[in-house]
Amino acid sequence: MDLSQYAELFLAESREHLSACNQLLLEWERNPASPEPVGGLFRAVHTIKGMAATMGYGRVADLSHRMENLLDHLRRSGRAPADEIIQMLFRATDALEKAVGLAVAGREREADLAVLAEIDRAALQAKPAPQPSGLARHFKESEPPGSPESPSLPAAPAASSGSTRLIEIVIRPEAPLKGGRAMLVVRKLQTLGTVHRVQPAAAAFESDDFDGRFVCELETARPAADIEAAVRSVGDVEGVTFGGGTDESQVSPAESAGGGRTRHIRVDLRRLDTLMDLIGELVTERGRLNDVAARWVGQDPEIDEVAIQISRLSADLQNEIILARMTPVWQVFDRFPRLVRDVARQLDKQVSFRVEGKEIELDREILDALGDPLVHLLRNAVDHGIEPPAERKRHKKDPEGEIVLAAVRERSSVAISISDDGRGIDRTKILEKAKREGVVGPHVESLSDDQLLRVLARPGFTTAESVTSVSGRGVGIDVAMTRIRALGGSIEIRTEPGKGTAFVLRLPVTLAIVRALIAAVGQERYALPLTYVAETVEFGTVPLTTMEGRDAIVLRDRVVPLVDLRKLLGTNGGAPAPPPRRPVIVLEMGERRAGIVVDGMLSQQEIVVKGFDAPQGTLPVFSGATIMGDGVPALILDSAGLV
Amino acid sequence: MTEGSLVSARLLVFRVGTLACAADVDQVREILPRLPTTRIPGAPPVVAGLVNVRGTLVTVVEGWRALGLPPPSPLPSPESGPAGSTIILELGKGEDAGNEGGGTSKKLIGFTVDEVMDMLAGGETRLEDRKGLPGVDPTLVRAVGRRNGELFIVLDVAALLGPILPS
Amino acid sequence: MSHTVLVCDDAIFMRTMITDILAQAGFEVVGEAETGTQAVEKYRQLKPDLVTMDIVMPDMGGIDAVREIVKQDPDAKILMCSAMGQQALVVEAIQAGAKDFVVKPFQPSRVLEAVQRVLG
Repeated sequence: MDLSQYAELFLAESREHLSACNQLLLEWERNPASPEPVGGLFRAVHTIKGMAATMGYGRVADLSHRMENLLDHLRRSGRAPADEIIQMLFRATDALEKAVGLAVAGREREADLAVLAEIDRAALQAKPAPQPSGLARHFKESEPPGSPESPSLPAAPAASSGSTRLIEIVIRPEAPLKGGRAMLVVRKLQTLGTVHRVQPAAAAFESDDFDGRFVCELETARPAADIEAAVRSVGDVEGVTFGGGTDESQVSPAESAGGGRTRHIRVDLRRLDTLMDLIGELVTERGRLNDVAARWVGQDPEIDEVAIQISRLSADLQNEIILARMTPVWQVFDRFPRLVRDVARQLDKQVSFRVEGKEIELDREILDALGDPLVHLLRNAVDHGIEPPAERKRHKKDPEGEIVLAAVRERSSVAISISDDGRGIDRTKILEKAKREGVVGPHVESLSDDQLLRVLARPGFTTAESVTSVSGRGVGIDVAMTRIRALGGSIEIRTEPGKGTAFVLRLPVTLAIVRALIAAVGQERYALPLTYVAETVEFGTVPLTTMEGRDAIVLRDRVVPLVDLRKLLGTNGGAPAPPPRRPVIVLEMGERRAGIVVDGMLSQQEIVVKGFDAPQGTLPVFSGATIMGDGVPALILDSAGLV
Repeated sequence: MTEGSLVSARLLVFRVGTLACAADVDQVREILPRLPTTRIPGAPPVVAGLVNVRGTLVTVVEGWRALGLPPPSPLPSPESGPAGSTIILELGKGEDAGNEGGGTSKKLIGFTVDEVMDMLAGGETRLEDRKGLPGVDPTLVRAVGRRNGELFIVLDVAALLGPILPS
Repeated sequence: MSHTVLVCDDAIFMRTMITDILAQAGFEVVGEAETGTQAVEKYRQLKPDLVTMDIVMPDMGGIDAVREIVKQDPDAKILMCSAMGQQALVVEAIQAGAKDFVVKPFQPSRVLEAVQRVLG
């Protein structure tokens, strides 16, 4: 059997269970007396063990087995564990996570199993005093197992119909769980007559020490050959010796089950991606069909009908596949409570962490790419946002700080905010530093949130002792910002001294297909996703002004700086002069706005976003390209690059 | 790339302006007519633009510019439609992408030529280890061959096109 | 006609593997359950010829599920999927009415042998 095909599934599912382990440990840590977490932990580790053993990952199986063993003891003891046990379980969970990753990469031997000794030591201490097990409570010594309380015992061909025989049965030495096999034999014998005695007592079957050898006293009319055949049919039986009856092991033919089945299938994510690509092609071709239909509709109106029908069908198909790609954010968020806790512990801070909007869904690709930026921002929040408990007390704040990670669905995007109630960012210090480094002019007197973010996000903007209050803020932010921008999203910051800081990330709900405006600039076409389009106005119908030396328009008392695409993109040679009344597309990303001046608006349509290998020098204002209805590519403008 | 492996390679021979060139067939994904291109603002002049190759977006390089040759005369007019062909080349072939992430190290890039002339099998031509012909940047030349008495250069595709696309 | 099977395990991984083993041998997996409660519910709906039952599952464990299923249908054919070290639990499951068991890690041949035994 080729196991490699299951490796990915193993990894994915093990990670889910490990994530659950972390959640449960956190819960347990908060409330050690609660009986629930240990049960869940036991199940999660047990499941990983079974999967790892099946995959042949010996070390993972061993580690999880020993953890399971410890958890089992803890579960039975019913006592709240010492904090150090929980801390050790955190370490064991980390070790298990690493071992799982290494095993799948074929490097299981590198797994660090140093934690095993600690686990075993803890297990030894936690081991409860021996007590009668579940089975022993069910039977008394020598009483035939499968007693009347057992529901499934159709006490079969009644007793007293024959002689009593002593039968010795030996289970194969290599058989696993010999006690289970022995019990199956006893049950089989019970279908042939009455079992009066089992030696050793059936309770011995549940011990791992059971050697697979036992004697039954059976009262039956069946001949020895039938009995032996019945016993052997159980499987893994090495020998049957008599000191006595037959039964076709009568099993009723199975009736076929009737309807009402719901069926699930697993789909490889790459298949889903391919399907998405194909649908992308279909949407492109649909655009072409619409173009053709528009030309031919005079000759044969039916073509229009067909085109409309095809449009509808492909839109439905597209929606379905987009839905299939949507993933709830908890799949990524669930590992953050552990992260925040770890960082807080390291830094001796007290932090309560809350997650809101776990059920909000995003395209799987976006969600996957979001993990790292969020880690950066959360670390920063604990490290630089939340003050040490003593400092918080001095400022009459709860010594325990709060960080909230929240996802909210907006019009056509999802906003994810990371807010802390910490000390906020000291603008004056940042401003001083920005001036020293020449990031802003010497006459700037204060930084707006927006300018602040730009300063913080500069890759070169490192920290020094003078900005301890935000040290490192910039480090993660430029990385986070680049990632978010690459996804067609934006970052915003809000901060207030003494009150806290919030970062808001805005992301498109899905990457693959977006609605866009197609704008003309000269003879060229550019697509502008509608996600951040607030409105369009006509140049010349709104008052003009300037802002920081740039042309701007005044829109409902707000000054909106303009970006002339013609100039920006260098569209000149051969292009006709711009029309007198050029459209202005107003983009809005959080607090930031810009008016994009184009030559004309061609259409609004759905486009399939594709990547392209941008040559050296390409202006950093494109997020990809799409193929238009005529088969010719058009570049997609990146709103975040323009605003 | 050693001389030995070069001689055994099959070559696609094409003409850019007056220069006869060749590329290793293994690096040629396909040959297409000239396709309508979309300008990429900011890209250097050697980049003709972006084309659609059955749903995949490929950056196309203007052959004569890349080789530092004089512009063709007359320049193809938009009305008559561009003449010549676009060769779609695969860059980075043979590099082991490894298992990590399964990222593709292969990149497609288009290269415009005036005429595709011939396909030469391995034994059909002798290649000389000469560093090029007068007027051609020697770093772009892997060898020089001869076909029907006419010299042609075997292009070092990676050296020619690699720098245009960032890794 | 192929036998119908209900696969109960809280791990997709295990369900997948068991399903693959059985499907390759010509069985028809008609349903999957992740918890004991689901197993009991799906057994009622689907009336499968065979049930494979994990012992440790959230919500309701495998042994309790066996008890419930056997209460509904004394002829239910349930194959326990156990792990090393679960001797006592396996004995208890058989006691509750399970017809056979296999031990993880699964070898397809052993799984199919056990299935044949259970189906007779």
